[in-house]
Amino acid sequence: MLTYEPGDSLAHGLDPRAKLAVQFGLAVAVFAYPTARGFAVGGAVALAALAAGRLSPLRVVRTYWAVFLFLAVGPLLGGAALGEPWFRVGPAVESLRSVARVIPVVFVGAVYVRTTPVRETRAAIQRVVPGKVGRLFGVGVGLVFRLFPVVLADLQATRRAVHARAGGRRSLRDRVRRILTRGLQRSFLRADRLALALRARCFAWNPTLPALAFRRRDYATAALGAALAASPLLSLFP
Amino acid sequence: MIETESLVHRYGDGAAVDGVSLTIDDGEAVAVVGANGSGKTTLVRHFDALLEPDEGSVRVDGRDVTDDPVYARTRVGMVFQNSRDQFVAGTVGADVAFGPENLGLDRSEIDRRTEAALEAVDMAGRGDERIDRLSGGEQARVALAGALAMEPDHLVLDEPLAGLDRSARESVLGHLDALAAEGTGLVVVTHDLRDLVETVDRVVGLVDGRVVLDEPTSAALDRLDEVGVRDPRC
Repeated sequence: MLTYEPGDSLAHGLDPRAKLAVQFGLAVAVFAYPTARGFAVGGAVALAALAAGRLSPLRVVRTYWAVFLFLAVGPLLGGAALGEPWFRVGPAVESLRSVARVIPVVFVGAVYVRTTPVRETRAAIQRVVPGKVGRLFGVGVGLVFRLFPVVLADLQATRRAVHARAGGRRSLRDRVRRILTRGLQRSFLRADRLALALRARCFAWNPTLPALAFRRRDYATAALGAALAASPLLSLFP
Repeated sequence: MIETESLVHRYGDGAAVDGVSLTIDDGEAVAVVGANGSGKTTLVRHFDALLEPDEGSVRVDGRDVTDDPVYARTRVGMVFQNSRDQFVAGTVGADVAFGPENLGLDRSEIDRRTEAALEAVDMAGRGDERIDRLSGGEQARVALAGALAMEPDHLVLDEPLAGLDRSARESVLGHLDALAAEGTGLVVVTHDLRDLVETVDRVVGLVDGRVVLDEPTSAALDRLDEVGVRDPRC
């Protein structure tokens, strides 16, 4: 599981709002341009983000292997047919083009998660989205980031516990049922404990947020995000 | 000052805390002892308004905790039995700062409190480290720092030494002794008084949610068998 890791990379030093702008812009651009040039630009941005965060693409693939596996299955399913010729290249390629758009966004998202403390994300969201909606969204994102790795670790621990007592000899269905049931129980328990901790520590909807400051490199990064987001407008001018 | 008056807390039909009346003065170091299921944790969670009484009342500095839970939680810091249950952030500094941030303090005051709390538990300069990569003893100290950053008058510690190795226990105990010497009130929940005899002034013993022992430490040691707790001198 990729979570925030302190560091001194370029991406660590960027304002989260600038990083979010690039993510947003990239998502818009790759979906607007499902072309070879669009993929090349998306790939270049993703590689630049990985370099800026000093994050290995292999580590991202290893961490999010389930996502990549899911994406890989898409073209196979897209090309499959119920009759002759059983597999059609055209729909498979079309599906592959759709999938390929997502990959740079996953890489850039991974860089963001690794280089941005959760509370800075919350601060960025609350500054970008004002009012109660922003507070609610910020808190929600914070809680998900806090709880998700814990729940995932619980599921892995349950799986190890099943295998430690020769659970591998049981049917797949039985193992899945046990892991999911126990995982659900532990998720509720974790949520309960987190709620208790938040109350004990005076949880507030409107706390003092970390100070965020845009510097020159943040403006440049945000400009890149804005340019990517605005790129579909170019198609209006033939 | 923490006061409970005829406090009752029920889980279903059974009373986990059954008519407890206690007064804990500022600066006092108290051990709350008893066997498993005797109601220790339930009792102290009322000090922080984490539970609502079924009967009776709990006051901190004369204010009813049900009416003003935030006041209670700022004056009475809580350190959970399992440190990991207490963490709400990924890094040491972010977690310790969480409480002061919730109080809406200035950033400079939050930074001052965070640094002071980390300094107090010998974790100064380690604010950027990830909590899940710390040892159990270090995590216990970060949890303590998280409570200290609220600058409470009392600290409630639920089994603070459970699961720690010898050196980690000594480290945490050293910090507790230092806090007690500085005048911070301590309420330590435990079923094992061995390491705490020198730290606490008073022992409150529970059996089935009732106080059956409330003595200065020296006098309480002879009566620990009444509450199902081992005599630390044996």
